[in-house]
Amino acid sequence: MTLTLLVQSVLAGLTNGFVYGLIGLGIAVVFRGARIINAMQGDLALIGSVVAYLIAVSLGLPMILGFLLGVVAGGVTGFLVDRLMIRPTAKRRGTEDSFLLVTLGGAFAVSATVLLYFGRDSYVLPGIGGNAMVDVFDAAMRVHAIWLIVISTGVVLALRWFYAKTAIGQAMLAASIDPEGALTLGINVGWMRTMTLALGGLVGGLAGVLVAPLINIQYEMGLLLTLKGFAAAILGGLTSPFGAIFGGVILGLVEALAVVTISSGYKDVVAMTLLIAIMIAMPQGLFGRRGRLGG
Amino acid sequence: MLATHQLRAGYGSVAVLFDVDIAVGAGESIAIIGANGAGKSTLVRAICGLIPSMAGTIEKEGRPIQSLPPHARAEHGVAVVLEGRHLFGELSLESNLRIAETQGSKRRNARFDFSFEDVLDLFPFMRGRLGAPVGVFSGGEQQMVAIGRALLLKPDLLILDEPSTGLAPKVVREIVAVIQTLRQKGMSLLLIEQHIGVASECSDRAYVMSLGKIVKELDSTDWHDQSLLAEITQAYLG
Repeated sequence: MTLTLLVQSVLAGLTNGFVYGLIGLGIAVVFRGARIINAMQGDLALIGSVVAYLIAVSLGLPMILGFLLGVVAGGVTGFLVDRLMIRPTAKRRGTEDSFLLVTLGGAFAVSATVLLYFGRDSYVLPGIGGNAMVDVFDAAMRVHAIWLIVISTGVVLALRWFYAKTAIGQAMLAASIDPEGALTLGINVGWMRTMTLALGGLVGGLAGVLVAPLINIQYEMGLLLTLKGFAAAILGGLTSPFGAIFGGVILGLVEALAVVTISSGYKDVVAMTLLIAIMIAMPQGLFGRRGRLGG
Repeated sequence: MLATHQLRAGYGSVAVLFDVDIAVGAGESIAIIGANGAGKSTLVRAICGLIPSMAGTIEKEGRPIQSLPPHARAEHGVAVVLEGRHLFGELSLESNLRIAETQGSKRRNARFDFSFEDVLDLFPFMRGRLGAPVGVFSGGEQQMVAIGRALLLKPDLLILDEPSTGLAPKVVREIVAVIQTLRQKGMSLLLIEQHIGVASECSDRAYVMSLGKIVKELDSTDWHDQSLLAEITQAYLG
């Protein structure tokens, strides 16, 4: 294997890893803040990318407007998911499994809606910097992929700051750690959950507009992204924003190395084997909390 | 300060409390005693809104609060330390207190204006441990964090559900001392206790609960009469 080939595959793995990590980040945000596994996270990305495509390509408006409204569309969808699906389920004393099932149903509904209006074709969303490439040690990398990595890193740092330093972020954490304790302090736990899902939606929409230029928009992309993102989030311990990105990068790199050393057909097998091995050795994930504290 | 009239509450459609009438005057400390399963904690949960009231009223200074959502009742000056304390275990002590401080800052012109520093003065052990997650604290320390957190809400009325349960005698004395300090400051208290000695020491009057009803009211003479208390222990707490 030549050095160029190795560098090329590492770059591809890194890019894919951040894609998975960005989806995983949304899953981690929602799980941390609401104890809900959102199976729609990939479909929030689908919605974000479709909205960006409609505005920037179909209507021919500026790209930046398409990106921004794609992100907003994710946030609004997250808000609606809480109001239309999670809240009614919670009122009827739904448990964590019913939330998962409800969002899984939502994922299929989004996918079916995109199939109905856009068909089976795939659509290309232009990336930041178009198709420009840069050379990294003789290997090529898209400028857009570099932006994806920079923006994802920025979002992780912003989320860390948000949860650790802002009153609202702390209240969101409190509401998810002990809802009754939070209620007795006057924290509106239901509203915190709504905002958590909206925040997860914003991250999902952002993932959509950043990922679509690399993988093309297609009605089935949501669930595939959710699965990889879920694996990334679990590797990272399911509640850590930083862990989700790290888990995604590990997953992406292992896949990429499997492609060059074994065969592209085995990349999922190798990646999932790694996931199983890590979960057996470290059930809390790479960045999970060591056991539950307190009574 | 706080009064319930013919309060009925429970879980799902099953009532646990029946026609409960209690009143806590301003600056008064009232105890509710009773055996396990008498409905004491259910009463606390109904007052702070964690379970809905089925009938009757709950009034805070004459204003009905029984239909307010639980988070709004804290803003009306009712703070509670639940049984089991319900701290945010993985967050630091400072975070636990600051979250409550932020919530308390929404209450303007509160009668009791406890600041972050005041709470540290009340519980000096906290000073060196602000960065530690409260989940690793001992039971007594956690109880004190829960009380400190409730005080930062600047309540007019503090409800303490079983503050002495499961704690070593020395720690119980420390908690009792803090309760006495709060009484001297004139804060209204509602104290739920199984330990009749602690309850008698920390309150002016008491209600005895059994099977979801108030079965006896003890005025301050009865409540501090040791031989009568021995009889009550025999009859209702045995």
